[in-house]
Amino acid sequence: MPIRFLRTEGFRLSALYAGIFSLSILALGVFVLVVTDQALRDQIVQFSSADIAAVRNGYTNEGVQEAREVVNQLMAGPVSSDFYLLQQNGKPIAGNMSAMPERTGTVNIAPSAATGNREVLGAGAFLGPGLYIFTGSDTGRLRTVQTHILHVMLALFGGAMLLAVAGGTLVSWSFLRRTDAMARACRDIMDGDLKLRLPVRATGDQLDRLAGAINEMLSRIGQLMDNLSQVSNDIAHDLRTPVTHLRHRLERARAECRTPEEYAASLDAAIAKADEILGLFAALLRIAQIEGGERRSAFTNLNLGALLEQMRELFDPVAEEAGHSLHLVSASGLVIRGDRQLLTQLFSNLIENAVVHTPSGTQITLALRATSGQAVAEVGDDGPGVPEEEHERLFRRLYRREASRTQPGYGLGLSLASAIAELHGARIRIAKGGPGMRVEVSFPLARDLA
Amino acid sequence: MKILLIEDDQETSAHIIYALGKEGHEVELCHDGNEGLERARGGGHGALIVDRMLPGLDGLSLVRRMREEGSQTPVLFLTTMSGLDDRVEGLQAGADDYLVKPFAFSELLARVHAITRRSQRAGESEPVRLRAGDLEVDLIRRTVQRAGRTIELQAQEFRLLEFLMRNVGRVVTRTMLLEKVWDLHFDPRTNIVETHMSRLRGKVDRGFGAELIHTVRGAGYTLRAD
Repeated sequence: MPIRFLRTEGFRLSALYAGIFSLSILALGVFVLVVTDQALRDQIVQFSSADIAAVRNGYTNEGVQEAREVVNQLMAGPVSSDFYLLQQNGKPIAGNMSAMPERTGTVNIAPSAATGNREVLGAGAFLGPGLYIFTGSDTGRLRTVQTHILHVMLALFGGAMLLAVAGGTLVSWSFLRRTDAMARACRDIMDGDLKLRLPVRATGDQLDRLAGAINEMLSRIGQLMDNLSQVSNDIAHDLRTPVTHLRHRLERARAECRTPEEYAASLDAAIAKADEILGLFAALLRIAQIEGGERRSAFTNLNLGALLEQMRELFDPVAEEAGHSLHLVSASGLVIRGDRQLLTQLFSNLIENAVVHTPSGTQITLALRATSGQAVAEVGDDGPGVPEEEHERLFRRLYRREASRTQPGYGLGLSLASAIAELHGARIRIAKGGPGMRVEVSFPLARDLA
Repeated sequence: MKILLIEDDQETSAHIIYALGKEGHEVELCHDGNEGLERARGGGHGALIVDRMLPGLDGLSLVRRMREEGSQTPVLFLTTMSGLDDRVEGLQAGADDYLVKPFAFSELLARVHAITRRSQRAGESEPVRLRAGDLEVDLIRRTVQRAGRTIELQAQEFRLLEFLMRNVGRVVTRTMLLEKVWDLHFDPRTNIVETHMSRLRGKVDRGFGAELIHTVRGAGYTLRAD
């Protein structure tokens, strides 16, 4: 694929730059030519005028004879014009030219026999009545200079083009080599080598940044896949237990039940088990759905304090029956953006955790406070708490503490709460230290109260 | 009552037909959305049970079309997904209630009864007072009296009693109470309904001789004055 590099971005860019550079050289060349041409012409006219002034000086002081002398001296001198003509009453009396029309000021003479077929630029003037002088130079000199400039410009132009093509090829080649390496790595990853990452050269250029971003993405995908396979494993494992129990019950009912009442009782127990399994599925689906994040459309501004008061009212009888007390300490007027139903579920899960996992007599406190642009809602209890090293594990799906395995539940309460918090841009964490267990959820306050 | 069931899943439809048949309802089954719409247009049904996912025309569009054409037949929407938005969408399309699969017989029957009753009373004006036996609930002044004695209820207890009174003589399930009284659309792990009900009973029934609120085993609760 010899022309493959022609299609790379690097080569395209080099070609573009070469084009722009060539155009600027061209423009510069034209400018230099015009400016030098004008400068040289001005200089010729100046020389001529200086010569005329010298002759005029001779004439004024000593007359026509002296003017002829001065012309002859100038013609022999080292720095002088090429052409001289001093004519009296239309007849040449000195100089190296034949008679010509007596024009004054800057004079341009087209190539003719009188100038040896050369274009002459100079100046003409009258020294006295009938006494005319012209001095001028061959403009061929100008053309020589211009040709020189043109050659230099062409050389520059060619050099620039050559450098651009060589540079472009080099850049494209190294670019291609790196993208090829990245493509190869991608293909290897697709082929199953999920631990592989794209090569990064640590130069921090665009390709490196791209490779870095892709690597981060791969790591995140890897994490999610690990998480997923972990969850699948857990689900398979956790489902086996209730299904096994279900099977045991049905088997025993078949072997032992004699009366319709016994059958009914066994079947009720079996249905309850099946409901438990279905509940587990529903909870998992709910988490997946919330993590999908499509629910934000249902967000409204809502008063978090009022919501917590409703939660307190809702759970008050439950807490009382379990021998707990439930209080609310709330700052008022904290408004956040959120989905009422999901937030109700979030706080229900936290409160139910506190009710279910603490001994009778525990005090459960709902608290709401504002700290630096955040509304911090807290569900805390003064129960036995959970060791700090276990905090992170509590948010894992289907994780259940040894002590709570006999309680109803699937180990999804905090996972679900955390998914809902994340959807709301809130941070959920278990407060360190202190007696009991305190779960804090920090919501960003709603800015636009309209 | 004749009920039109539009559901493509064999197992589910057999389940529903059995449950409704046992209660003495006649069920007309159809598997396809377009055909279902045609039959619904034919009229003569006391209620429709419509699955969300259907071949031909999906359940949402079917209900929306029916309502656009002016049909008032009560509709119970069935959905497999415990989707949060499915419920809202179903109700917005014009369904009277929704039910998430899988469901218990008692849940299905209670919902069908609730929506047919609601539609029968659709023309009546909103009541100001609800009465059952010697229990009276004033919905405007939000007061409760039984046998002439005023009963003080907290806001949540009042809402619970109001719902029971509006469905007097009918079974309301635990899920229905969670949804309609507290707007909770998930299964709580604690006995929220039971404890609230117990508080309400303590105030409404205790010390008044005959009980009004009854537990229906395996189904839910009912408020009934014998």
